[in-house]
Amino acid sequence: MNQADVSKLVSQLKFRVNPRLRKFRNSGGPEERLNWLRKTVTALIKHERIELNYPRADEARMYAERLISDAIRYGDCHKTTMDVADYWIVEKQLIHKLFKVLVPRYEHYNVAYTRLIKVPRVYPGDTLPKAVLELKGNPYPSLLPDTSTNRGIIHNVLLDEAKKAYRQQKYAEIAAKIDAAEEKFSDLKISGKDEKNVSSL
Amino acid sequence: MFSSLYPFYMVFRVKMFLNIRNGLSVATNSSKVIRQLCTKAAAFENVTNNKQSNESSKNNVVDYRHIYPEFLPDPKPEFRNVLREKLERSDMIARRTQIQIPEFYVGSILAVTSSDKHTPGKNNRFVGICIDREGCGLRATFILRNVIEQQGVEVKFELYDPTLHKIEVLRLEKRLDDKLFYLRDALPQYSTFDPNMEPELLPGGSTVPVNNLKVKLKPKPWLERWERQNLQGVEDLGLPEKFYIRAKELEKPWEKYDLMKDYMKTIPEEEQTEIFSEVQSHLHKLEVTRKQMKRKRVFVKPSKLA
Repeated sequence: MNQADVSKLVSQLKFRVNPRLRKFRNSGGPEERLNWLRKTVTALIKHERIELNYPRADEARMYAERLISDAIRYGDCHKTTMDVADYWIVEKQLIHKLFKVLVPRYEHYNVAYTRLIKVPRVYPGDTLPKAVLELKGNPYPSLLPDTSTNRGIIHNVLLDEAKKAYRQQKYAEIAAKIDAAEEKFSDLKISGKDEKNVSSL
Repeated sequence: MFSSLYPFYMVFRVKMFLNIRNGLSVATNSSKVIRQLCTKAAAFENVTNNKQSNESSKNNVVDYRHIYPEFLPDPKPEFRNVLREKLERSDMIARRTQIQIPEFYVGSILAVTSSDKHTPGKNNRFVGICIDREGCGLRATFILRNVIEQQGVEVKFELYDPTLHKIEVLRLEKRLDDKLFYLRDALPQYSTFDPNMEPELLPGGSTVPVNNLKVKLKPKPWLERWERQNLQGVEDLGLPEKFYIRAKELEKPWEKYDLMKDYMKTIPEEEQTEIFSEVQSHLHKLEVTRKQMKRKRVFVKPSKLA
């Protein structure tokens, strides 16, 4: 039973974080694991889109997100953040990119800064699951299909027409129901008036 | 847990409301006016200023984490349960209406009065230095250490234990380390405190002082390998060179860069603000009643004994 560590304040990450960290198989232990992930994070910041094995991508994503969120939170004048950025970014010219390009880009984001997409497996071939890890807002064309402009495909046209017909039918039914109810109501009113007239007489 | 205390609790609550009502209504009115003024002023100021004021108000809530660390849940995901945490928090507040649990840190000197089931009708009072705070929610604990008749004594108290009668802070201060287990291997003078110590009052509005005392340890054998723990509050250990070489080998300098490890050890700020803004009003109310009770306590002049 632990108490939460209150010495450091961190911003919440905007995606589902894994419950525990992966222990990758490597001979160098935890230090080598971080060295290994550093290369991935640096490559991600450099190229903005990389393809790699899924577990490594998933692990590197968390670290890249934390790095960016800390950079946004504390800025480039905070010594600890600068130290951390210096550690995580192997190619030092990219530190400028982190603080001058990525921080302004993601400052007002309410969602995750990176996107992790599973790559479909090629059959027959390498069975290891692959993934594409990318920074959002990168200049490359989107990997995900753009569904906003596919209304012209014949299936969608037919479905739209079918929907329209169904809806019209429903409206007609509702209108008929209302008409029937109104007629009934007016009949009742007339009969009520007659009764009143009779009683007054 | 609190069933036996319940009638008293109700009475206390009613009284508390009566006491507060007048004071609070004025306070809420004034705060409303201030808030309106603030909003008006903010409309004229630029966006950055607005952001800063928001941040400062947020920080005040988040600063509760140092005073009430046990209100934050255990960060381990397998132990998280939002409903249980919420219920625990309400139980903790309910207990805090019964007993005044003061602000204290590791390194503060406390006196705890508790009842013992083996000595019914009598109370124990234990004075000692807090060497550790652990656990969260209703299971929060702290360890007090003192040397009594040349024998080191440590008592682990649960913070929300219903058998506790009183928790007094005799000296409010912090030490250089988060845990003071090394006092077990230190000379006894460093963990000896007078059981009849008078509480030392800090001037109002001052920050909690940090005691820069460096403790001298007894020669080996020790309970732990203190040279490997990067302790700040310990004098030079005076060990042969090979111990320091080994400690250097076992250092993990990369751990401070493991961003996710840090993240998984804490509760993120957004969640902390949510938790503390939920309990803030209750805690504030308790603080107000405590101050009122303090003011009401009449000074009784000691009668002259012949």
